[in-house]
Amino acid sequence: MNDPSSVELIQLDTARLALAAGMVTVAGAVSMALRLKLERQLAIGAVRTVVQLLLLGLVLRHVFELQSVYAIAAVIAIMIAAATRAAVTRPKRTFRGAAWRAGATLVLSGILTTVFVTTVVVGVRPWYQPQYLIPLLGMVLGNALTATALCLDALLESLSENRAEIEMELAHGATRWEAARASLAAAVHRGMIPIINAMMVVGIVSLPGMMTGQILAGADPFEAVKYQIVVMFMLAAGVSAACIMMVWLVYRHMFTDNHQLRCDAIAKRTT
Amino acid sequence: MADMPLLDARDLSASAAGVTLITGLDLQVATGELVALTGPSGCGKTTLLRALAGLIDLAGGEVYFRGAARGAAGWPRFRRQVVLVQQKPALLDDSVEANLRRPFEYGVAEQSFSKEAAVETLGNFGLTSSFMAQNARALSVGEQQRVCLARALLIQPAMLLLDEPTSALDSRARDMVEALLGRVTREHGLAALVVLHDEHQAQRLCQRTVDLRPHLAPRPHTADAATPGVAR
Repeated sequence: MNDPSSVELIQLDTARLALAAGMVTVAGAVSMALRLKLERQLAIGAVRTVVQLLLLGLVLRHVFELQSVYAIAAVIAIMIAAATRAAVTRPKRTFRGAAWRAGATLVLSGILTTVFVTTVVVGVRPWYQPQYLIPLLGMVLGNALTATALCLDALLESLSENRAEIEMELAHGATRWEAARASLAAAVHRGMIPIINAMMVVGIVSLPGMMTGQILAGADPFEAVKYQIVVMFMLAAGVSAACIMMVWLVYRHMFTDNHQLRCDAIAKRTT
Repeated sequence: MADMPLLDARDLSASAAGVTLITGLDLQVATGELVALTGPSGCGKTTLLRALAGLIDLAGGEVYFRGAARGAAGWPRFRRQVVLVQQKPALLDDSVEANLRRPFEYGVAEQSFSKEAAVETLGNFGLTSSFMAQNARALSVGEQQRVCLARALLIQPAMLLLDEPTSALDSRARDMVEALLGRVTREHGLAALVVLHDEHQAQRLCQRTVDLRPHLAPRPHTADAATPGVAR
């Protein structure tokens, strides 16, 4: 029996990376044979993959070496800004002020869950040690931004499409909460479905990337699984926090203190 | 106190999408009084009703209900007493019974839902008890309009704000609704402000008519700027 911990990580040199690049040319050949005209985009995508990931590798190596709070904070700020942008550009509708609300949601849900995991669950010292903090935060943000975008899309759609029914309820004496509750619940539901589905099939259908990575790096599969369990629960917590916060912030914006629905604040995204 | 109007609106202005539609309107409605509100198409009648119900802000003016600023005791409480029924029927995707029951589930409700009362009210609008189990959205527009009126009457408000309440009804159903409104106002002291297109209907149904024409604000653009988001 091989002790998994004795397996050394095989270093990938440039020649091996070039071999991997050869696999993309298979996709390019298919595109040419079928005249899909995807060669150009494939080439750009391949180059972007290489450049973006090499840059990330360089930056992370530097940040890990520095162990500087400022460098870590800068990386986190960039991650959150990119996640916020993605979260508000995906939904079909938007409103003025959607971006800062999505940003606040991601900051709070992402950082709170990640820091809870590094400090309390894993017990990393110091808690901001970037080898733990940055990858974990990246996973939370990736899932939270999807959830935030889904919530936002579902809620704005529901408020626009059900405007007449919501105003009918208000007109018969419903509070804004009573009139909005069904739409809010449906939006949180939509945001949480992906992570719940992921928890259902993890380990059976999908082998999560983080776990696969740890196993490839020589970790004992059982240790990798333990981390993956922590990660799944962390994602569930982060996603639910993001859904609830986003929906609450949109609700407070779309309904006035006089129990009016401000449907005119919702605009269709033009781009 | 006996002369105090139920609804007393002073120097009202209403606007939609930043365009002023109505200015300087004074409007009083007494208990048991049916008042018609008329004016040209798109002049802001619907907007005015929505603003009176507080679903949108007034551009100016004050509205008193039973002598106190409306909304002072909470907007849900005010809207429970002064119920707006919009022209286009708004019904939940559920049975007629669930639609009639829904307003009794709000915190502001003082009575609980009575199925007998619901069936009786539906019957007053010419809808039999077999309608209770049907999906409200599967009904014809005229039937939906009557379910909406029944739902509003069932919670026993002091006043109704009705936007073209018979627009989707045939003449028989229209006569039935008119007779019913007349009876409820006489017997129960219900007041109503009714937006109507037809001046004959206004004269037939209501004690008096408020014509909005003297209160229309000059429009900067086309006369048909109308009210956004309102189905016509």
